[in-house]
Amino acid sequence: MKQIVIFTLVFAAVAGLAFAQGGVKKKRIPPFEYGRVIINNNSSKIGLAPVEFDHWLHRDKFTCRLCHVDIGFAMKAGGTQIKAADNIRGYFCGACHNGKREYAGRTIFAACSTEFSKDDVKARCERCHVTGKNQKKEDAFYKFVEKMPKERFGNGINWEKAEEDGLIKPIDFLDGISLKKKSLAMQKELSIAAKTEGIPDIIFSHKKHTVWNGCEVCHPDLFVGIKKGTTKYSMPEIFEGKYCGACHATVAFPVTDCQRCHTKPV
Amino acid sequence: MPYKTGLTAAILIAILLAPLHLWGDEFFNLPQLPPPEGFGTLLINRTSVKKGMKPVVFSHWQHRLKYTCRVCHGELEFTMEVNTTEITEMGNRRGRFCGACHNGKVAFKANGNCDRCHTGDIRAGSEKFPDVVAATPFPRSEFGNGIDWAAALRNDVIAPRTFLKTKSSDLPFDKLLVLEAEMSMIPPAVFPHKSHTDWLDCSNCHPDIFNIKKKTTKHFAMAAILRGEFCGACHLNVAFPMNDCMRCHPKNKAGV
Repeated sequence: MKQIVIFTLVFAAVAGLAFAQGGVKKKRIPPFEYGRVIINNNSSKIGLAPVEFDHWLHRDKFTCRLCHVDIGFAMKAGGTQIKAADNIRGYFCGACHNGKREYAGRTIFAACSTEFSKDDVKARCERCHVTGKNQKKEDAFYKFVEKMPKERFGNGINWEKAEEDGLIKPIDFLDGISLKKKSLAMQKELSIAAKTEGIPDIIFSHKKHTVWNGCEVCHPDLFVGIKKGTTKYSMPEIFEGKYCGACHATVAFPVTDCQRCHTKPV
Repeated sequence: MPYKTGLTAAILIAILLAPLHLWGDEFFNLPQLPPPEGFGTLLINRTSVKKGMKPVVFSHWQHRLKYTCRVCHGELEFTMEVNTTEITEMGNRRGRFCGACHNGKVAFKANGNCDRCHTGDIRAGSEKFPDVVAATPFPRSEFGNGIDWAAALRNDVIAPRTFLKTKSSDLPFDKLLVLEAEMSMIPPAVFPHKSHTDWLDCSNCHPDIFNIKKKTTKHFAMAAILRGEFCGACHLNVAFPMNDCMRCHPKNKAGV
């Protein structure tokens, strides 16, 4: 018996060392950092801090579709390969951050420039190219959260309800960039069967998604969307950032909020 | 003699790999248990002493009478390991961490009541334990707090809250898993999802601690559990401790 024990132990130890993978809980991202994207395609190369883009700061003002379709931002950090020259020409960040466009009566500060003074570095460059802890932004976040409906995970904000209740009115159209289009007739809520017995089915609402995304954010790239069931996917893939996970792993409410999708009464 | 050769090889590997001798110790020596009133009580000292304050005493039993695990370890931002949550005074004042309840509305205010938590004494508050036990008809258990918390909740002896601000629907999942033991002599472990979801959200365990893809959680072994991984994330210091072998491996070979 003792020999078997030793043998098992040694085997488990060797196997354990070979794949040092732990069953430990990862640390949760703090609410004000949820949806933060660090963009560093070129910044470090030219001696600037990487750009710290916070989704929360933008999604109370604009829909997802506006930036990810009309302006053309990719869905993965670094995927867009933004250059200062592009911003100066009015693409990407420069589509709004051009020193001319206004939001709620205030001129939006201009992003990159070929000419800038020493003062500009602090007042402009470092508004996006930031390093280290930014207490001012954190304070602004908690001030913003106070008025918002609460949610358990992510930013701790129920964005869907905030929009529904008119607390935020995200813009879906930019002059000179967006095109006015007729909206398509929407499908009703549909249920997606869970693969594990005992887990409630998902109730998917197109209506809730199209407010932010139109059709184009998801179709046809993430979901073919011709016929229900054409795109095959599973929960592990979603956790890897595919399918629903394209948004719901890092920006929209996280996939760990199981009950928000798996809602159909059993 | 392939068995003997294998054994010799195994012993050789064991000698070669320096940290291995610790495994045996860990395997057979369970961590020493504190007295029932002190089980699940922590001293939190991430920055307290550095900032001139005494460490904070936190007792799980006092809090789990009123709140399920998921409230603090899900809705609030508490991690599963002491001193890894970046609790700050500012955070508490903003209603994060302890301040979510200790705001003068739900529970005593954190601000201005420093000494009630910053006692530096791990026994602080334990004097209330006998009275609470005497006043409540708890189902008993042999280890930990001496209380069968799962049964207490199941039988409505206690009614801890499941959320603070945001109610989420419960996700009923009642699957019983039977997990084969590593050793041939030991009966399989049984895992009831239900008695865990009573306290926890799916995301407390999945996918960080246990994968969600069936049978893909690797190295889920007693040695790892005793290091605080897998079940050990809770069942070493807070949920019933692993001295209670038969609570997971119920059909002991001794016939008990």
